[in-house]
Amino acid sequence: MNLKYLLPLLSFTGFLFASYTVVSSNQPMPVAQAVAQPASAPFKAFIAGAGIIESKSQNIAVGTPLSRIVKTIAIKVGDQVKAGTPLFYLDDRESLANLAVKQADLFKAQADLKVAKASLNDSQTLNDMAQAITDRRAISEEELLKRRNALLIAQAKLESAQAYVKQIEAGIADIQSTIDRLVVRAPINAEVLQLNLRPGEFAQSGVLATPLVMLGNMDQLHVRVDIDENDAWRFNKQKKAVAFLRGNRQFKVELTLAYVEPYVIPKKSLTGDSTERVDTRVLQALYRFDPNQIPLYVGQQMDVFIEADETEPVLKTPQG
Amino acid sequence: MNQIAIKMLMGDKGKYLGIVLGLTFASFVMTQQPAIFLGLMARSYSFISDTGLPDVWVMDPKVQFIDDIKPLQETQLYRVRGISGVEWAMPLYKGLLKARLSNGTFQTCNVIGLDDTTLIGGPPIMLEGSLEDLRRSDGIIVDIDGATDKLAKISDQPGAAKIPLKVGDNLELNDRRAVVVGISKVTRTFQSQPVVYTTYSRAKNYAPRERKLLSFVLVKAKPGQNLQELTRRIRDNTGLVAYTNEEFKTVTYEYFLHNTGIPINFGVSVLLGFIVGAAIAGQTFYSFTLENLKQFGVLKAMGTSNWVLLRMILLQALLVETLGYGLGVGLTALFGYAMRNTILAFKFPWQLLIFTGAGVSIICALAALISILKVIRLEPAIVFKS
Repeated sequence: MNLKYLLPLLSFTGFLFASYTVVSSNQPMPVAQAVAQPASAPFKAFIAGAGIIESKSQNIAVGTPLSRIVKTIAIKVGDQVKAGTPLFYLDDRESLANLAVKQADLFKAQADLKVAKASLNDSQTLNDMAQAITDRRAISEEELLKRRNALLIAQAKLESAQAYVKQIEAGIADIQSTIDRLVVRAPINAEVLQLNLRPGEFAQSGVLATPLVMLGNMDQLHVRVDIDENDAWRFNKQKKAVAFLRGNRQFKVELTLAYVEPYVIPKKSLTGDSTERVDTRVLQALYRFDPNQIPLYVGQQMDVFIEADETEPVLKTPQG
Repeated sequence: MNQIAIKMLMGDKGKYLGIVLGLTFASFVMTQQPAIFLGLMARSYSFISDTGLPDVWVMDPKVQFIDDIKPLQETQLYRVRGISGVEWAMPLYKGLLKARLSNGTFQTCNVIGLDDTTLIGGPPIMLEGSLEDLRRSDGIIVDIDGATDKLAKISDQPGAAKIPLKVGDNLELNDRRAVVVGISKVTRTFQSQPVVYTTYSRAKNYAPRERKLLSFVLVKAKPGQNLQELTRRIRDNTGLVAYTNEEFKTVTYEYFLHNTGIPINFGVSVLLGFIVGAAIAGQTFYSFTLENLKQFGVLKAMGTSNWVLLRMILLQALLVETLGYGLGVGLTALFGYAMRNTILAFKFPWQLLIFTGAGVSIICALAALISILKVIRLEPAIVFKS
């Protein structure tokens, strides 16, 4: 083709292609939408905090007084238990054997007591007879003293035998209280929230990372809200509060303040990490709500918003 | 007269082509080099452009650019959440972690931890799987460039192509199991590391033990909220720094501008293109005028005014400029198109079209100026000499 037309044509095409590249290559990237809509505060000024649901009684991690193998378990997860209901039984064979030994000891001690009583009687009689003789020449002074001392020894032996019986009885009571402690009972009326125990497992006494049995009173639920110490001054007990369930902001409940723990504690990471990261201290406020309003579970996290004063509070200046 | 000017220009095909090609080269270099430069700069903040949902990024005041992570205390998230005008605030973890591949080699990955509930800040395009799949245990989403290249498995047969990472494959991130549940497409980052998306709490488990792990707080403003006011309020209330998306991009690329040699290198290339282009085109155009001096002399002798001659030269200059410019930017676009699937950075904004146009215009104006001076000083009598 003629250069006269070829060059302008090429140039024009080039410019068009460049313009097309400019338009097509500078499209903004699509925006990834949120999978679940995040909760948003319904107030103008507010404090936000993470809350965790707990039962009104707080969640009771029931411990065992003695470290033993578990014999039987009397409950299931979800059971309603009354105060005093046995939760689980620990292995009691050793204690029962000890009890049998002690009971045999008791029989022996009681028999010994009878012997002591009899020998006291004997000594008493011999002494009485000697004392009854009026003529001092009929019995030697030595014989008289011997009989009196024998009586005193017999009396002491009787007391010792009696004390031994008491000692054995106390020992039996001790073993019986141990046997009683081998049955772990519910401290309050509650629901079984967690059961981390199977027959045959070893129940360790002391504070455990995973509780053996977790109980909680489910009549009323509380949400424990962490308020950063830097925001604590903005916290007002009279103001309203709402909590949103994570994952779906349609589920929301109005909260009423139950109480505030006056001691500010180091924040425990509520994010479920096993290693606790303490980075600040938090004020914990506990709010009450009706658990039947929305489907929720103890231990679940919630996003809580507490209304705050819009204006700065007036500082109280000391009088005088 | 314009007809004569064009005929004059195209009369010598070799010279004509020379001028146009010189200008084409100049405009090509002046477009392609800045395009690569802009592409590189855009990569420095590509993560910010890819994360389009939030309006404001909150971070430590000493953060200099997007990859300069200075983690925050976790409670800062709730402090930011408690500021009025904030619709929502979400945590984001961003960090470099070592991934161990199935063949035993290690690869540093850019791990992004998204809020567990809402998964805000996810990749812009999902090629396989969906963002919700991150809820599965040990789930991660890998970007396609990482999956096909740096994280790909090496084939047993020597010389065979790498086997790309697929959904369902396992990785080890800091000795912890991670399962690929999705493949995403993200804009390449400056360091071109594979990008791994996961949830915030899982990212914390993958990350080495540190007291603070919260990299950024992503904030969405309430509808109608002035962003400048909001960032100022966040700054005043928390002592942290808050940038809008645009501000954070500026902060990031300015860091690269001031702290790397990239702008100087590309600046020198552009200048060289300009000088070489100007030299070739200017010199060819001038020698073309010199050769046609006789014709100009004849025209002058015939009584054509200087003004008309000037217009003729300007027309010739404008013509070659337009041709060279169109060819140059066209070639650049072609170059960008050819390189679209490679690692090369390339960004062609409309401002660049104007920049190149201005550059080529200056070259042509200079070339025309010298020629015009020559023609105006021309004595018509020269035609009759020798």
